[in-house]
Parts: sequence; C-alpha cells; structure tokens
Amino acid sequence: MSTRVVITGLGVVSPIGIGVPQFWKAALEGRSGISAIPSFDPFPLEGYRSRIAGRIVDFSPDQYLPAGQGDRVDRYAQFALVAAKEALADADFKMERENPHRVGVIVGAGMGGMVMGEREITQLYEQKRPHRVHPNFIPVITLNSASGIVAMAYGAKGPNLTISTACSSSAHALGQAMHAIRAGTADAVIVVGADASITPLVFAGFCSLRALSTKYNAAPEKASRPFDRGRDGFVMGEGAGALILESLAHAKKRKARMYAEVAGYAATSEAHHMVTPREDGEEVATTMRLALKDAGVTPAQVDYINAHATSTTVGDAVEVKAIRLVFKSRADKLAVNATKSLVGHTLGAAGSLAGVVSALTLTSGQIHPTLNLDDPDPACALAGLSKDQQTRKAKVALINAFGFGSNNAAVVLKAVSS
Amino acid sequence: MATTTDVSSKIIQALAEYLKRDASSITPTHHLREDLGLDSMAVIEMLYRIEEVFNLQIPDQDLVGLTTVGHVIAYVEGRVAPASTKTAAKGAAKPSAKTPAKPAAKKPAAKPSPKSKKA
Repeated sequence: MSTRVVITGLGVVSPIGIGVPQFWKAALEGRSGISAIPSFDPFPLEGYRSRIAGRIVDFSPDQYLPAGQGDRVDRYAQFALVAAKEALADADFKMERENPHRVGVIVGAGMGGMVMGEREITQLYEQKRPHRVHPNFIPVITLNSASGIVAMAYGAKGPNLTISTACSSSAHALGQAMHAIRAGTADAVIVVGADASITPLVFAGFCSLRALSTKYNAAPEKASRPFDRGRDGFVMGEGAGALILESLAHAKKRKARMYAEVAGYAATSEAHHMVTPREDGEEVATTMRLALKDAGVTPAQVDYINAHATSTTVGDAVEVKAIRLVFKSRADKLAVNATKSLVGHTLGAAGSLAGVVSALTLTSGQIHPTLNLDDPDPACALAGLSKDQQTRKAKVALINAFGFGSNNAAVVLKAVSS
Repeated sequence: MATTTDVSSKIIQALAEYLKRDASSITPTHHLREDLGLDSMAVIEMLYRIEEVFNLQIPDQDLVGLTTVGHVIAYVEGRVAPASTKTAAKGAAKPSAKTPAKPAAKKPAAKPSPKSKKA
C-alpha cells in the first residue's frame, strides 16, 4: 500500500477574490471576474482583437506579504507568495517544527515573469542600450523564480521544482507532489500554480493564435462561457492557487485538518498537435482512465468533475466526448462545472485553482455554478452541468487539465473518510 | 564644491529610494553590506540605478573597491568630473582608462579594452 497523500491547506489569489473565503463565496454566488482591459499603454487597444480578461485589480504585494519579500520577483511570483502564505497558515504548517529538507516546493507556471520580461525586451530593442538591461532580468524571467522565492520565504529545503506545461502546469505540480510524497522524498510539498501574463506581448500572442474570445468585448462577463453554444474562445485570466500536500501519517501526527486525499494522477502526451486536441477524445479519455486506475477507483465511483473547459469551440466538445467515453451512462450522473467561467483561463494557475475548488467541493458538497451556460451546446451536453449552484454530496472528484504541446493531466481527489 | 555635493546627494538619494529609507539616515561611512544590508545582488541593482542617474557604465573590474557609500561617491565623482569640465561626454562614456577615483586606482591601471582606440 503506497503512502497516502492529503491536502491540509489552501490559498487563492484570483480575479474574484484574494483569499479562499472571498474566492469561494464569490464562486458559489457565480460572480464573474472578467472585465474590460482599460489599456495596454502605449499600445493601441484597437490592435487587440480581444480586450477583456480576468484581471486582479489593484493588487499590492505589500498588503499581503512582509515588507520587501515580493520586491525582486515578478507579479506571478508575488501571487505565488501570497497564495502559499495563506495555504501554510490555513494548514497551520509551521516550518520551525519540520525537518526543512523534508518539505518541498513544486510550482506550475506557464509563462512566468513576463511583466519585467516584456519591459526589458522592449527597452533593449527600442533603446539599443544592452548595458541598461536590468540586473534582475535573468533571475526574474527564469521560470523557477516563483518556486525559488517561495522556498526562500519559508526555508523549505526539500525538492524545489517548477513544472511548465502551459495550461496544465499546476495540475502536474499537484500530481508530481503526490509522487514525491509517495516516493518518500518529502513529508510535505507546498504546491503552487501561478501566472500573470496579461501583458502587451503575451496577450497579443494569444490574440494572434485566435485562441481568445472576441465576440464579447462589450460584455466582458459574458465572454467565458464553457459548454455554451455561444462560446468563441477562452478569456485570459491571472492568479495563483496553493495547496499544502502531506503524507497522511505526517498530517495525522500533527493533527492537521484534512480537506481531501490526492489519490491518483496521470500524465500523458497526445503526441498530436501543438495547440489542438485529438478530436475523438481518446487521449483525454485515456488520461482520465489512468488517473482513476492510479487512485484505485472505478468510473462508477466518481461524483464530480472539475472540467478543463476553457470555452473554446473544439476543446470543450472534445472533453465532453472523452467524459462520455470513460463514464458511459454515468456521465449524466456526474456533477460537472467549469471554474474558468468565473475567473477565465489563468494558465499555469488553472490546475491549482481546480485543485482548491475540488477540495472545497468535497468538503462542502457545494458545486459552484458554470456561468453563461445560457444555451447549452448539444455537443457538450451533460446533465450535471448547471448555471446554478448545486448541492450534492461528493466523495470522488476528477480534475482535468490539458496544455499546449499536446499535454494532458488528470488528478483524482477523494473525500477523507475517518 | 557644487559638483561634489551634487554627486553625493544624488547617490544618497538613489540609495534611499532603493532602500526605502530616509536619506538623512545614510552617511558616506556606511558599509554597503554590513551597515545597509545590501547583498551582492542588491549592490549590483543599486549601481544599476546610479549608472542611470549619472549616465555611466561601470566596468566589472571597478566593482571590487566599491564597498562603502563613500567609495561609490568618490568613484562617481572621479568618473563624472572630467566629463563636466570637458566639452563632450566621451570621457564619461569611455571605460576607466583615465579614472582617477580611489577605488579604481588601487587596481593596476586598467588594461585598455580590446576595442579601445588607443590600443
């Protein structure tokens, strides 16, 4: 019997709330975090086909962090620090009581430090003064800056890793943390997903890729509409989620409150296409099956799916097709929702936010609404999808996450039974 | 001397902004690491600001002697003084070939850089 792994603390920085209580209340109320982008100064907003995003407005790291802690890192890493701080406090996890080499940090990040990255690149190319590139440019844009700063903030000296698989990054971070604890290389892992790249260049890149919603610039809160017939692309978001994972024994020893067990995980590649999934859904289905097998549960035992559901035409339909392949008639008995309908697609943070939502769903029995499901697409029909909040006792949750680069992840959470 | 005061106050001001503390609490005798708590990366960031303020490029070999606020002031004075008396800014832009500043002077006269016209 392999080591069991549990979640003991949660943290969130999101467009609908900073802090788990604020986030969860807004999620259950079905509040949208999507708003108009006021400006990409000095670039003309008309040059952007999409002009909306799930932005965190007026974020000031000093409001949440010890003075100076977030000074030398980019916005995404500041989000990571804030989420990690909340999760550690929530878990009542005190580093001074731990063997620091047994505490790891695994961060999922898709884009990384693009705020400074873009500024420095722009200045270099405009001003042609290489000696004026900021000395912190490299440490900031190196993708492991968030995992580094989180470990430094708390003295966590175990495995310190960053996983970058685009939109599935922090679902893999969750899974890899589970593996590290199962393998006995850590007693606990601070898992974080974070991204903050609603920046002129990255945003333009996603526009050019024709990945973003463009039909709802005048009604931002309507734009992120997974599974709805009117969906036309994802809405970019930003934020961070954090989860404290521990071995069951370690959590029990320190009498920690447990949200859920991380029971299974699968990572696959479709080896198919850089940005689109296989349309038959077979690879996504395989990923879900492998994660369920790893968790030792059958499809019939699953109650809830936190869908990847980005609100793209192809992606949402493929995911539902795959759910039907795996769950057959059970598919319509599952509760399903799409967290991205609330906050947009937070890229590297998405898997961790799905983890937070799923943990809260298992403990509360509350399924947050899927916004803008006004005209359900028959290609995405599932009886357990709802624009309203649902109450349903759930014991097993499945998280889906798919990323550019033909990358899939699935994570299974189980309610903790005493 | 006006220039000296100017250089000194600009440097202390830049340091104060970087450290988020009052300029009056910083004196030339302060050691950058021991007294002001700047680690090696922070010293580099601080000098990056000072380079901008004085439109300087500080070569790597000159960093070694810059351990106190006074060293930095003396070094910058040495670098900007010729430029303010001569007509062009060439002197300031050129690496430290004729830098009279104390910290740099401790080192053997800097080798002309490969690209130096004098070579």
